[in-house]
Amino acid sequence: MAAYEKFVPEIPPLHEPFWAALRQHRVELQQCRRCGQFRFVPSELCPCGSPEYSWAPIAGTGEVYTYTIVHRAPTPAYQQDAPYVIAHVTMDEGPRMISNVVGCDPSDVFIGMPVEIVFDDVTPELTLYRFRPRS
Amino acid sequence: MPQFADAAFAGIAMTPQGDLSDRDPADVYWEVVQEALADAGLTLADVDGLIGDAPPGVGIRSALPGGAMADLVGHPLRFQASTSIGAAGQSAGIGLAALAIAHGLASVVVIPTVAAGGGSGYLGADRNAAVAHMARLGSPYEYVWGTTRVADYAVIARRHMYEYGTTEEQLAEIAVAQRYGATLNPLSVNGKRGEITIDDVMASRPIAEPLKLLDCCLVNQGAGCIVMTSATDAAAQGRHHPVLLLGWGEGQSYLDPCKAPSLASFEGGRLAADTAFGLAGVGRDEIDVAGISDHFTIGVIVELEAAGFCATGEGGSFVEGQATRIGGRLPVNTDGGFLSNSHAGSCGVFTVIELVRQLRHEAGPRQVEQASLAYAHGVGGVSQVQYGAVLGRA
Repeated sequence: MAAYEKFVPEIPPLHEPFWAALRQHRVELQQCRRCGQFRFVPSELCPCGSPEYSWAPIAGTGEVYTYTIVHRAPTPAYQQDAPYVIAHVTMDEGPRMISNVVGCDPSDVFIGMPVEIVFDDVTPELTLYRFRPRS
Repeated sequence: MPQFADAAFAGIAMTPQGDLSDRDPADVYWEVVQEALADAGLTLADVDGLIGDAPPGVGIRSALPGGAMADLVGHPLRFQASTSIGAAGQSAGIGLAALAIAHGLASVVVIPTVAAGGGSGYLGADRNAAVAHMARLGSPYEYVWGTTRVADYAVIARRHMYEYGTTEEQLAEIAVAQRYGATLNPLSVNGKRGEITIDDVMASRPIAEPLKLLDCCLVNQGAGCIVMTSATDAAAQGRHHPVLLLGWGEGQSYLDPCKAPSLASFEGGRLAADTAFGLAGVGRDEIDVAGISDHFTIGVIVELEAAGFCATGEGGSFVEGQATRIGGRLPVNTDGGFLSNSHAGSCGVFTVIELVRQLRHEAGPRQVEQASLAYAHGVGGVSQVQYGAVLGRA
């Protein structure tokens, strides 16, 4: 595998279960034990005030809330992929998650588009989540 | 009129903007600070307050800027504070400076920003390095996908267009209006490039759709400084018509875009503006000229809405027909703004400097006729943290 030259995420201990689940091709988010709300990105408190949570699986499906097609990338490694899509997706469980939309022409993406998560093992230690169109 | 604080903008200065990579940042710092003090009829011996940083140096200068400044000016300061509103951080500091002056904590406060020297990153002259640096400022759940600051605002533009029918041509109106101002501003970076049209903006290359090159701010270096004193002291100097800070407020909301309830409107801006206008006892319809953070054209639209100059969703139609151009219904960023004047360092300082010029009636060919009330609105990050300020000609 060629060296991975894109940005690698900082993963503090609180966030580690999310990335560990991804390595097993599962998406797990924090779910508040008091109010039941899912939340993302990982954080130490639920807006309801409770610090108690569990990591719980989500379906991995949602709809595009907004997006952009990037032509001018931050570094040469990303520029190789341009133009590429960055989408903010409202997951069925409520939270929004950001990633690329792959598996279609960038110009086919639209707000409201149904998408689902796919997994991309970019290194042996790092699995990323991306979205693809869902019929 | 209720008085927020007995504080005035006594001095302003800015260097030519552009590429200052061959200049020592400390030299540029002292040059612009002393020029602003001279504009106020003061010298370094008078300074007893500082917003933000001392010039770069060795040791823990950056962590203890007030002490560093004392070393350099040869006397202790009575006040130092910093805000955390990103590119508007220094300009948001006008509120803290005014409160300090009004309560006797300081009498002469300097508010500088300097981007100079050969370093890379946000303060450097290397565009690629600056873009890469800015891309990493978000969370890992943003930057791993190849986001950029342009992309961060592009998703706001796309959502705003979806919810409210805002068009790319309406975004372009902002860039066109501000370039016109820059052509009348000899210190600006883009003024010498001449006026542009909506067609020019629409035809410029896509950066992060729907934002195009001419929807984006400059990447440049430069320096500016504001000096604040009491209104009484400013009037006693008699060098310029005094300009007062009538009201000021902040709104700090939702750092993570995944946590923001909306990416088409921003509560922080509304909070900031409501506090500022409330303290000033001034209505939106009384404002003659505005300075609104314009890292990207869409920013002006969402901030005009947040600040209450129009209803949420109506920013696009508000700016149509060159309404924000000098001579329009509400001139905005008459110096060219970050799009065409300067986007150097904590560039909100330039926004305030231009409003002070306007209220002094010293804006030359850019002068908004009989300007007596101005509004500044600044954002940090991607519109998460904001401040608003009402300025008045005494």
